[in-house]
Amino acid sequence: MAAPAASAAPIPAAAPVLALAGVGRAFGPVEVLFGIDFDLKPGEVHALIGENGAGKSTMMKIMAGYLAPTKGRVLLDGAPVAFSSSEEAEERGVVLIHQEFNLARQLSVEQNIFLGRELKRGPFLDHRAMRETTLALLAELETPVDPAAIVADISVPEKQMVEIAKALSRKARVIIMDEPTAVLTRKEAEVLFRQIERLRAAGTAILYTSHKLDEVARLADRVTVLRDGRHVVTAPRGALSEDAMAEAMVGRELSNLFPAKAEPASAAPVLTVENFSVEGFAEDVSFTLARGEVLGFAGLVGSGRTELMEGLVGLRPAHGAVRLAGRPVRIRSVEEARRAGIAYLTEDRKERGLLLNLAMRPNLTLLALSRFGRFLIDRKAEELALDKAIAEFDIRAPLREIPVGNLSGGNQQKLLLAKTMLADPDIVIIDEPTRGIDIGTKQQIYGFVQRLAAAGKSIILVSSEMAEIIGLATRVCVMRAGRLAGTLSGADINEDAIVRLAMGLEARRANGNG
Amino acid sequence: MGVVKAFKALALAAALAAPAAAQAQDSKVIGVSIPAATHGWAGGMNYHAQEAVKRLEKTYPQLKFVLATAGDPGKQVSDIEDMMATRNIDALVVLPFESTPLTGPVKRVAEAGKWVTVVDRGLAEEGIEDLYVAGDNPGFGRVAGEFFRERMPSGGKIVVLRGIPTTIDNERVEAFRKAIEGSGIEIIGMEHGNWNRDSAFTVMQDFLSKHPKIDAVWASDDDMAVGVLEAINQAGRQDEMWVLGGAGMKEMIKRVMDGDKRVPANVTYPPAMIATAIEITALRFVSNAPVSGRFVIGSELITQENAQNFYFPDSPF
Amino acid sequence: MADATTTRQELRKPRRPAVNLHVVGPLVALAVLIVVGVLLNPNFLSYGNVTNVLARSAFIGIIAVGMTFVITSGGLDLSVGSMAAFIAGLMILVMNALVPTLGPGWPVILIGMAAALVFGFLAGLGNGLLITRARIEAFIVTLGSMGIFRSLITWLADGGTLSLNFQVRDVYRPVYYDGILGVSWPIIVFLVVAIAGEIAMRHTAFGRHCAAIGSNEQVARYSAVHVERVRLATYVMLGMLVGLATIMYVPRLGSASSATGVLWELEAIAAVIIGGTVLKGGFGRVWGTVVGVLILNLIQNILNLTDLVSPYLNGAIQGVIIVLAVVLQRQKKAL
Repeated sequence: MAAPAASAAPIPAAAPVLALAGVGRAFGPVEVLFGIDFDLKPGEVHALIGENGAGKSTMMKIMAGYLAPTKGRVLLDGAPVAFSSSEEAEERGVVLIHQEFNLARQLSVEQNIFLGRELKRGPFLDHRAMRETTLALLAELETPVDPAAIVADISVPEKQMVEIAKALSRKARVIIMDEPTAVLTRKEAEVLFRQIERLRAAGTAILYTSHKLDEVARLADRVTVLRDGRHVVTAPRGALSEDAMAEAMVGRELSNLFPAKAEPASAAPVLTVENFSVEGFAEDVSFTLARGEVLGFAGLVGSGRTELMEGLVGLRPAHGAVRLAGRPVRIRSVEEARRAGIAYLTEDRKERGLLLNLAMRPNLTLLALSRFGRFLIDRKAEELALDKAIAEFDIRAPLREIPVGNLSGGNQQKLLLAKTMLADPDIVIIDEPTRGIDIGTKQQIYGFVQRLAAAGKSIILVSSEMAEIIGLATRVCVMRAGRLAGTLSGADINEDAIVRLAMGLEARRANGNG
Repeated sequence: MGVVKAFKALALAAALAAPAAAQAQDSKVIGVSIPAATHGWAGGMNYHAQEAVKRLEKTYPQLKFVLATAGDPGKQVSDIEDMMATRNIDALVVLPFESTPLTGPVKRVAEAGKWVTVVDRGLAEEGIEDLYVAGDNPGFGRVAGEFFRERMPSGGKIVVLRGIPTTIDNERVEAFRKAIEGSGIEIIGMEHGNWNRDSAFTVMQDFLSKHPKIDAVWASDDDMAVGVLEAINQAGRQDEMWVLGGAGMKEMIKRVMDGDKRVPANVTYPPAMIATAIEITALRFVSNAPVSGRFVIGSELITQENAQNFYFPDSPF
Repeated sequence: MADATTTRQELRKPRRPAVNLHVVGPLVALAVLIVVGVLLNPNFLSYGNVTNVLARSAFIGIIAVGMTFVITSGGLDLSVGSMAAFIAGLMILVMNALVPTLGPGWPVILIGMAAALVFGFLAGLGNGLLITRARIEAFIVTLGSMGIFRSLITWLADGGTLSLNFQVRDVYRPVYYDGILGVSWPIIVFLVVAIAGEIAMRHTAFGRHCAAIGSNEQVARYSAVHVERVRLATYVMLGMLVGLATIMYVPRLGSASSATGVLWELEAIAAVIIGGTVLKGGFGRVWGTVVGVLILNLIQNILNLTDLVSPYLNGAIQGVIIVLAVVLQRQKKAL
């Protein structure tokens, strides 16, 4: 084992509020968790890290009453408990904040916060009290969202904050957060961290998972690493470096995360976009893309990058000039984009990318189905394509026929990548390719991206992860409030320059040839 | 039969006798609430109601009619409430979908001092209506039963198709059973065909599969008789059995008239009773004829001899 | 990872569990019904009875095959029963109107059949356009058209019954009652529709696209599927299948009334769900639908052939078996 065998350090002296003793969990014949010992003390932030599929989610679900362990015990205040449901766990002060939010989309913020435990005066709802409490909670979280706003209409970070407000309103003693920062910008994450620190000071026990190891290093009092359903190590703050954490997670040494950049072979643009606008989201954007190039698109969440790309592939009404290898084209649907050789890999793999209830095969071939037979689908060819995709993109699934919703995020992302590449596009637009994905898979995906570029594909990489953009792109377009704030290339690509452009601190002329 | 004609004559006579008195009165509104045309008999009943309304509005300009058809008892209650609230009716002619749910609403109409005529199905409480015009359901079953008894003096095996499970159906079947008691006629199968051609067709198909020998069928309704006859044709067992329907559908009357061996007779249950009821109610407002009371229109047996009197080729039913 | 290679090897061949209730559930229910039928009445498997049950299953069956596609793509059509009545009425009117000029023969009947398909096409197109273009919920659109078609047939028939000209009927009658080699036409048509439907669902891009749209419309849109076009096609196809079912139905009794096709929509939907198609879309199985239709008709047939229960309870028996057939399939999901 690469990581130091540090034992649980006696950091907060208090007795654990929630603990697992020898907990195991099996789904049918498949065991996913083996003899886990774990404890969570009041007033500590305990980070739980591991690759996708390491068993973090299962472990959190057991602690929060969503799943029962098949072996071992859950201890609350030192006494064994068997939560019959998540409601019971919440009743006892243990709240899980889901990565996919558990909010009723058509209800208002306020209705969500009090869902199931509405304040009442006599038989009637006490609207005023709920409104005031909601406002107070949101103010505390520095989230200026209208309590009457419908949850479906608010932004992703706002939803996150509403989830946290909901947990706080329930007087939680233990808050379990499943990758809370995966969908937050840096600034929003800072607000969250302040809240976490405030909660810690107030004596709340916090279990926290994240793939962002710098956050973990900064925030966590203790870190526990899981790998393949087993407990690897628990170490106090400072005992594990970020590299050591990563190695403990992966179980091998990680070489450089990013492959070496290669400058595109030729500067001749395969794609030229001029004065391109997507109403309400992006305005007057111009840029070019060369063969074999990786062009990064950076910017804050909500700066219009995703909508711009969706406009380019005909998913949103848009206008402006688009030329492919000098030839003007008009793309009004994904089908037309596909025929023009452009493919868009959505940032939202669960809602827009994959059919979660179907198996891998229909998912893989959906975009390029016309290539598998004119009238009848050639199932054999599909199976062969799947064989190839599994090998090429290293997709790991317990069974070929299981619904892809049961695959880990990383494998879903690889499948989505395979699906997109099956359409054999010349230009691939990849939006947030590593959101919610463990570090080992990230490294693989970076490798794929680089290999595609080397094979002559042109790639647009939209990402909020600065390191990703800097590590992969040869040029970077930075967007701010729907406009291109500037384009960076070569040595100019660094975090400081990107942030300045994204925040509007430095206005450069947008220049396609950067 | 005679009864219906007699009322029509009465209505006409009264109208001719007292035109002056009629015109002197204010205009009156008569609400008519009936079930929707969901099967043949109801379709005929709807037709007669509309015809009666048309005729009476022409004859008596001072009378206005509000006609509403309902697909279920709830809708019928709403119809009646609307008539009271927005059309300010002076009289209500109602053919209740079902007795019990309509009793309360109709009672409120009567209590408001309006004239109430109830048709076909009695209300659950007595003494509400001013006028009751009805078919004779036990009579319908009894007449059918007696016909079976007469045609099958030495007994035999028959199957019975029943209507939608309701009081009407129960009364008919009960009386039918009583009428054939001790005659040696054995009911070897009884199922609900819901007064529907398609249901009757499938039920009869299955009866034919199940029973190697059937001497006769009481289809108890002409719509069902159509489906039954078709199923018998398909099985090629036309010569084995005959079918008695009911309610006097024109095609069936025609077959009786023509002496079709498979359709030897029919039993009346005239859908025109609604027209009679509307006409008598109208009389109440245009003449001084005494019209309240209780009129039961008996079910009669139609055979080849008298079929001519019951054949109305223009009626939809 | 150490287990990566073994995992990949396992992936080579699709593995199926030995017995999958989700798959065989409806078949088991069907088999049980057949065994019960045989035990209760020796005539159950007679040629006559089997033919009767299959032929009467054909109307709902043909419609239910179309409904499978609509439901798989996340839609619903409540109007099929009244649509069938309406088309039957129009078809009869068209044929009766042509008899004086063309005489009672096959030309009239062929025109009538074509008219039924055209009316079905138009009715389906109407539903489909309102759902895909005007973006009104399928439930509401078809609830509305259900009422409209039902009223129109009642109005056309003047509250009574529309009857086909007797001479035409004699010519047309064999379409329901005759067939090839003792298999009647409705059964043959049903079989052909079912096989074509099964192939379309499992082996064509259309079927795949239906499942994709029903599973997640957004994903389908992002994957270059013409969502609106496919949706529209499902309703148009269903409309034409209703027309086809009507072509088989009219020669049976030669009439149409407001009582024609009452509750067919619910029977068709029930058959689709019993067959294992997911009501909220995303997964559809045509052969399952065929089994579902047979199950529904067999229950009625067996109840008619026996005197085990009061006829008042027929509906209850049917209800219990429908729910059981679905429960059998769902058990697997407990994992």
